[in-house]
Amino acid sequence: MPSFETIKSFLPEMYIYGIALITLFVPLVISKLYYLSIKDPSKQSDWVDETSSFLSYDFEENVSLVKEELGDSSDMVLRTFQLGDENLKTALIFLKDIVDIEMINNNILQPLMTDSPYNDLQDYMDQIKNGLLPVSEMYETDCVKTISINMLQGNAVLLFQGTDHAFILKTPKSKTRSLEEPVTETLVRGPRLGFNEDIGENIALLRKAGVNTDLRLISSQVGSRFNKEVVISFVEGIADPTLVESVKRKIQNIMIDNVPESGIIEQLIEDQPLSFFPQVQNTERPDKVIAAMAEGRVAILLDGTPFALIVPVTLSMFLQSPEDYYHRSISATLNRWLRYIAAFLTVFSTPLYIAFVSFHQGLLPTQLAMSIIGAREGMPFSIIIEALIMEVAIEILREAGLRLPKPIGQAVGIVGGLVIGEAAVEAGIVSPATVIVVALSAIASFSLPQYSMSTSLRMIRFLAMFLSASFGLFGVLVFFLFFCIHLVKLNSFNTPYLSPAIPYSTSDWKDLLVRMPIKMMNKRPKFLRPKNSIRKQ
Amino acid sequence: MRKSQHGMITPTQATILIINYTLSVGILTLPRMAANEVGTPDVWMALLISSLVPLAMAFVIITLNKRYPNQTFYQYSGLIVGKFLGLFIGLVITLFFITDTIFAVRMMAEVVEIYLLEETPITILIVIVLWLSLYLVVGGITSIARVSQIIFPLTILTFVVVALMSLGLFELNHLRPVLGEGIRPIFKIKSMALSTLGVEIILIIQAFMTDQHKAKKVIFLGVLVPTVIYLLTLVMVIGALSIDGIKNLTFPTVILIQSFEFPELFFERYDSVFLIIWTMQIFTTLSISFYLASLGLSQLFNKDIKPFMYGLLPIIFILSMAPKNLYQLSWLGDMIANVAFVLFGIVPCLLLLISFIRGKVQ
Repeated sequence: MPSFETIKSFLPEMYIYGIALITLFVPLVISKLYYLSIKDPSKQSDWVDETSSFLSYDFEENVSLVKEELGDSSDMVLRTFQLGDENLKTALIFLKDIVDIEMINNNILQPLMTDSPYNDLQDYMDQIKNGLLPVSEMYETDCVKTISINMLQGNAVLLFQGTDHAFILKTPKSKTRSLEEPVTETLVRGPRLGFNEDIGENIALLRKAGVNTDLRLISSQVGSRFNKEVVISFVEGIADPTLVESVKRKIQNIMIDNVPESGIIEQLIEDQPLSFFPQVQNTERPDKVIAAMAEGRVAILLDGTPFALIVPVTLSMFLQSPEDYYHRSISATLNRWLRYIAAFLTVFSTPLYIAFVSFHQGLLPTQLAMSIIGAREGMPFSIIIEALIMEVAIEILREAGLRLPKPIGQAVGIVGGLVIGEAAVEAGIVSPATVIVVALSAIASFSLPQYSMSTSLRMIRFLAMFLSASFGLFGVLVFFLFFCIHLVKLNSFNTPYLSPAIPYSTSDWKDLLVRMPIKMMNKRPKFLRPKNSIRKQ
Repeated sequence: MRKSQHGMITPTQATILIINYTLSVGILTLPRMAANEVGTPDVWMALLISSLVPLAMAFVIITLNKRYPNQTFYQYSGLIVGKFLGLFIGLVITLFFITDTIFAVRMMAEVVEIYLLEETPITILIVIVLWLSLYLVVGGITSIARVSQIIFPLTILTFVVVALMSLGLFELNHLRPVLGEGIRPIFKIKSMALSTLGVEIILIIQAFMTDQHKAKKVIFLGVLVPTVIYLLTLVMVIGALSIDGIKNLTFPTVILIQSFEFPELFFERYDSVFLIIWTMQIFTTLSISFYLASLGLSQLFNKDIKPFMYGLLPIIFILSMAPKNLYQLSWLGDMIANVAFVLFGIVPCLLLLISFIRGKVQ
């Protein structure tokens, strides 16, 4: 039996207990804060649809109801006229800047005013329904809310005296730019066509990708104040039905007043808003969307933005480009490797440099260590400060180049690069090796095909730099493990973020590190759980 | 809440968990322990024989598990030997896993302290590693399995590279004579059998497996792969440094890696690179035992698992500071291995026997 003294001699010193308390409380506090921050705010009770009013038989009142619903807006046109011998009061109401005036003149007003054999109201309304007006789409409604929504979508409303129904006539005019090549996703080979801001044209682009009876488009509305159309698109028979259901549910649960861009939807439907990594892919390229849907993924298009969203997404998809499939397999594989290396360099080159120079000079080859240490002789700052100065300078240059007009942006890049790089070394503020390493990591980050991913990688690099400055290689290791853990926990619509790499999905590895010849890739990615997995016989 | 901790793992993931759990401190220390016990260059044969021990243990364990499908040992041991004895055995196993975590985290901190970061206090290293480990284990067994899947290929790759690099130092004469002192030495397998233990966690993780009928394959690979890697280590180290050269080295494997030079391959020395990978490897080991300890407490007392994870954190930290030096730590490691043999070799045999006698309890 060991004596009390022996046991006591094994008890650690007092300060250990203090550290133990810190060990416990730091993660406790972090997890508390985390759960507080992601907790859904309780469903707001005042979020109710206003009860809508309906049209009555009183013509004047109907007109004023519709006018009031839109606040008697200055762009509203109220054209009243009288029909036939009985002087039936008629009103055509529309918002003048979003309708096709020519169509209203030729296809609505002309038939109504000139060649309308009006005798009886009921008879006349039947005529209108059955082909008096050459308008492609037409509905009947008595709900003031529906009327106002349709007017806002660019439709015209026709009201008659003596009935509680109104006709809605499809007359919208869309103002869009022409289809151009997407600026952020240029390819050497591939279609030179990008989405634009009009959802109708974007859907047309998807339809034109090929005759496919299974392409499904589900439309719904988002935004309570600025209501917009959002379309969920997928291929029936390939996409996992539970995935489609969960996308639909998440879109329907969006309760927000305004959705100016699909980025808002992206942030509202992702699982982990506090993660460093994007969990939804965005693209301006129709071919990318089609390819994703052919793999069993789901696309989300929003009116008013050229950026379509694709879910689910994995880390490897962010490092792939459509061109990987358009070029031959070997060159595509090499390019893919180049991007993987670039991603690695983006994150790790500066931290490893810091770790080697400040902690593990012995690991470097003697010549290299001598020249780096020699060049750092007489430098005023520590290596981390040096690297930070350069990193921040490059980030500012990047941001400045982005905001300025293109020609000036390039000038800023050249001048900034020269001045910051050359002069800082000349002035003895940073060492030449630091400039090389930081420039390398910046250029590596620009070579990644997805802007959102390269931003994420550049961000986490700063964390890695601090850790490696404090703990050397061990800090880099801690950083690596932390993000391994983070990434394996991350899911994008129930698909593990690191798949198909982790968990091992060996049949999908034909399209991960290498891009096998198309002849051999005869199955769709299994980790997306497609309903039908045969891509090619 | 309770459902989220019951993530499932595939047989591949279970195999990798076992491999990762097995490969830990032994990579660095096994050559010395083996050399001291066997004393002849025939250690590699002794290793092959000793690998039968964990295989046999694992076989008993999966036979036992088969009688209680989808339940962990913590849950069904009470059904066999009664509530209180079951709780007692469960607590002992939990304590075993806690001790194992303590040993792994302290060993890792010691090695990092010696070879990577001389000036940083060991307490800080331990705290950082424990925080990381906590972040991993709250994700449940699925997260641990996935992280193991990331680290496993890195380990294998590093091993192959290190083995190839040490070929230049390899001398076949160091492995001769074969059976020079007769057949006796190759049965001195105690220390090796103990450090190749690890497959015993199948006792608990089998309940999380999706295809439980593949358990045999899992344990077979789970013993085979670590044995091959240990074999490679032994042959590599003894072939380069000779059996007498390693008897007094604390970490012979590191010495081996320090003794070759390939300056044309960018690095001047490779021990740090190897130790970084080894640190990841042992990180999974300690995370697995940390998780299994918290799981034990949570299932024995039928409570949510998260408070136990947070609660164990300071306890593990304080106890990991108890060993005063590397010597005491090694002693702790030996004790753990001995206890593991009893807990996972003898206890399952007894329970299997009792369970057979009592018949299947529903």
